[in-house]
Amino acid sequence: MTQEDLPPGVVSTPPPRSSTSGRGRRWVWLGVVPFFLYTFAFLLYPAISILLGAFQDENGKITMKLVASLFEHGSLEAYWTSIKLSVVTALLGGLFGLLIAHAAIAGRLPRWVRTTLTTFSGVAANFAGVPLAFAFIATIGFTGIITKFLQDSLGFDLYGTGFKLYSFWGLVIVYLYFQIPLMVLVIAPAIDGLRREWREAAENLGANTSQYWRHVALPVLMPSLLGAGILLFGSAFGAYATAYALTSGRLPLVPLLIGNVTTGNVLSDPHYGNALALGMVLVLGVTMTLYAILQRKASRWQR
Amino acid sequence: MPAHDDDSGLDPLLAHSLSRRDLLRHGAMGMGAVAFAAFLAACSNNDNGGGGGGGTGGGGGLTEPPSDGSTVNIDDLAAAAKNEGTLNTIALPPDWANYGEIMQTFGTTYGIKVANASPNGTSSDELQAVKSLAGQDRAPDVLDVSPGFAAQGATEGLFANYKVSTWDTIPDTLKDANGAWAGDYWGAVAFGLNTDVVPNAPATWQDLLKPEYKGKVALNGDPRTSGSAFAGVFAASLANGGSLDDITPGIDFFAELVKAGTLIPVDATPSTVESGETPVTIDWDYLQVSYGDEFAGKLTWQVAVPTDGTFANNYCQAINKEAPHPFASRLWQEFLYSDAGQLLWLKGYSHPVRFDDLSSRGVIPQELLDKLPPADQYANVVFATAEQTDAATKIIADTWAQKVSGV
Amino acid sequence: MAALRRRRFLTLGVLWLALAAAYFVVPLLATLKFSLQPTREGYHLDAYRVILQDPAFRQSLFFSFKLAVFTVIISLVLLVPTAYWVHLKLPKIRPVIEFLTILPFVIPPIVLVVGLLQGFRWTPTWFYGGYLILVVGYAILAFPYVYRSLDAGLRAIDIHTLSEAAQSLGARWTTVLFRVILPNLRAGLLSAAFLTLALVMGEFTMGQLMQFPTFAVYISYIGQTQATGAAALSLLSFAITWVAMLGILLAAGRGAGARAAQVGGVH
Repeated sequence: MTQEDLPPGVVSTPPPRSSTSGRGRRWVWLGVVPFFLYTFAFLLYPAISILLGAFQDENGKITMKLVASLFEHGSLEAYWTSIKLSVVTALLGGLFGLLIAHAAIAGRLPRWVRTTLTTFSGVAANFAGVPLAFAFIATIGFTGIITKFLQDSLGFDLYGTGFKLYSFWGLVIVYLYFQIPLMVLVIAPAIDGLRREWREAAENLGANTSQYWRHVALPVLMPSLLGAGILLFGSAFGAYATAYALTSGRLPLVPLLIGNVTTGNVLSDPHYGNALALGMVLVLGVTMTLYAILQRKASRWQR
Repeated sequence: MPAHDDDSGLDPLLAHSLSRRDLLRHGAMGMGAVAFAAFLAACSNNDNGGGGGGGTGGGGGLTEPPSDGSTVNIDDLAAAAKNEGTLNTIALPPDWANYGEIMQTFGTTYGIKVANASPNGTSSDELQAVKSLAGQDRAPDVLDVSPGFAAQGATEGLFANYKVSTWDTIPDTLKDANGAWAGDYWGAVAFGLNTDVVPNAPATWQDLLKPEYKGKVALNGDPRTSGSAFAGVFAASLANGGSLDDITPGIDFFAELVKAGTLIPVDATPSTVESGETPVTIDWDYLQVSYGDEFAGKLTWQVAVPTDGTFANNYCQAINKEAPHPFASRLWQEFLYSDAGQLLWLKGYSHPVRFDDLSSRGVIPQELLDKLPPADQYANVVFATAEQTDAATKIIADTWAQKVSGV
Repeated sequence: MAALRRRRFLTLGVLWLALAAAYFVVPLLATLKFSLQPTREGYHLDAYRVILQDPAFRQSLFFSFKLAVFTVIISLVLLVPTAYWVHLKLPKIRPVIEFLTILPFVIPPIVLVVGLLQGFRWTPTWFYGGYLILVVGYAILAFPYVYRSLDAGLRAIDIHTLSEAAQSLGARWTTVLFRVILPNLRAGLLSAAFLTLALVMGEFTMGQLMQFPTFAVYISYIGQTQATGAAALSLLSFAITWVAMLGILLAAGRGAGARAAQVGGVH
């Protein structure tokens, strides 16, 4: 532990230095070399392979045509839809996740509420794919129980409004099922850091709830919120299984395009998948960098 | 020990620890589950790599996979196949033209395990799997692809030449001269609908544009990759002023369907039919009729052949040139093209390719014939020639994406 | 006044939780209802029976379980020494390690699988054609979660003192690692193992694109052929994930400071 990690007022004595002669120092690196080798071989090398493949055509010659084709209508639409979907589910998932997590953790409810919520969130976040698709087909599909309920009890024809499970908003509803739990899990430690004394102090000074949120809670939570939001964005952007399960892969989303090119679509250049993947990596790389920066700021409040 | 774990801000992934009571409560369940899983794992058999059965050494005197079925003894072939132990099939839904019963009968008759992958795969997926899994145990042995992709596969040299022993009874127009592929069964494009969701059946293609079908119609795939969807577009073209030489009106019609919000980007599968996700489908008649049977207890699935234009097409059997189980592959084809195999396809409401030969010899049971859709519905069906199919495939490949966006 | 505000705040919180409960539980109930109705009338367990008797169900379940075990082994073998060394001797490279373990979020499974399939086409069949290439990918996906668990566990125990004490009593590094550190790290190890298990059992993308019969691929197969069976299977897989999560909680409950990550790895 470094000095930074300890509560104020406690001084740590540096541990006695063990032998780090030249020879010892080299042995020390041996402990981490396997990890580096593995990561390089199976994470970085494939990534580089994609990067290089995105600029090569079938015969191995360097070409910009694949990357240029990313800006064509079909793939641009896919990127735009993916980004839009990810942003919307990140915002909504972030908002609802925050409210739910705050209610369970800081809301002075019994302990079991929080435990149940966290356990369920862990499960729900893993529920994606065919199970999730079926769950929503059974709920708001053409013959889903909510659809029938709305029809029979309230006379409201859900599908008469033009709603479709595969429309943008249908997807949002489905994606939220794993986005909200992800938010709950990620923001929980930050809410833990929101000390109750602050709320009581604010109330004593005459603040009402919205003032408390605006001036105390949100500023404190903001770096964590933004970081969590970015994590949610990445999670939705890279999501494949659920969209695939809903439509056998025929929505304009980037992961589905990549999947189609890789498995079946003999009509396009096999290297096209590389270009698409490269685009994804760039988008995600930018978001993850933002995430890392924001998390450093957030760490202040979590002691 | 420190009271808190102080993960730095880079760790967002935390959970909450339990009180002792929770721990004890969950502990018993958790332990039991872990123990159970471990017990199951210990009892499991380990052969889970997919495909891969016994060795591929010849048996019963056969060392080389034959290229002409009439020259070998079926028992020798069966013995060699049994030695291989497994047949890798791909994209064969169990309720597609009765493939479920076909695969099961083949398996029990010859003692071979049929490992079926990607039931909802398209013809295009099948070719791609042959290429991407080349040389591996999991590669598909036998294929059932639409004629366009059969021709493509033959051109690319993906198939082995094999002529089944009943080769001569297959119409010439439905087989490749070298034995690279052979037609297996055909059907016509028809509408199917779930009358619980959609009470009125569309009688014509134009009917589909009615608002009552909005958001409810599905094809079985993308016409660029799926034989069924391709046929659907062709049929729509015939109904809208096109011809076998011109598929463009069909593409335009589907563009209209998409714009009207009628067509949904879901592939019609037995599962989507059962769950009600696709209340109206455009698919092969044999599938539609069999869905009616299969789901009779759960919903009413009605079949309607469009009166203003329908199109028929067959599929083609082929053997992967680098099949991991070459003997089993050939035995499979022998089974399929035998009288028994052909009748099983007939049982699935499709028209097997040796139908004329079978009926002229009087071997078709009357009950099976009675169950088929009435013959007059097929009076107007048309088939496309290979050249017409090629031309139409090209037009679709070039123009479908731009014209029909969002699907 | 404050008490009134607090009570109002409490009801608002309860309202949100009730809405959340409805949103999350209703689809599960709908799936349950759908799975119990293979025919129009009545409720039957037929769909469950068919699934449980399907040999492919057991085979794919065990296949995925087998892959999970291998993934756990590889991840722990690689990351336990790494995390240990980083804590003890090489704190300076901690940011590098953490960056590398965050990288799988930037390279999601759909991208990783394309890279693996393409980059390793030249390798021999026992690697490229067997499930080893899939396990290798899974370990990468598991790294963020495994490293976090181990890291959290290591922070909670005083590595330096333990190591120094053991060394001063004459133990070699291997002894220190295996007989001093690891037993104290049990909670972190267990939670890392269960997280990986849940991740691999639910992973679909890589199994599908590499065309292996994993459990999630099997669920997809059923999803395309039998709707009622798929609903039953969805709930079964839900139950299985619950068991894995309870396992994590069980492990996390032991020992102060052993927090586990419970984030889903499959999308």
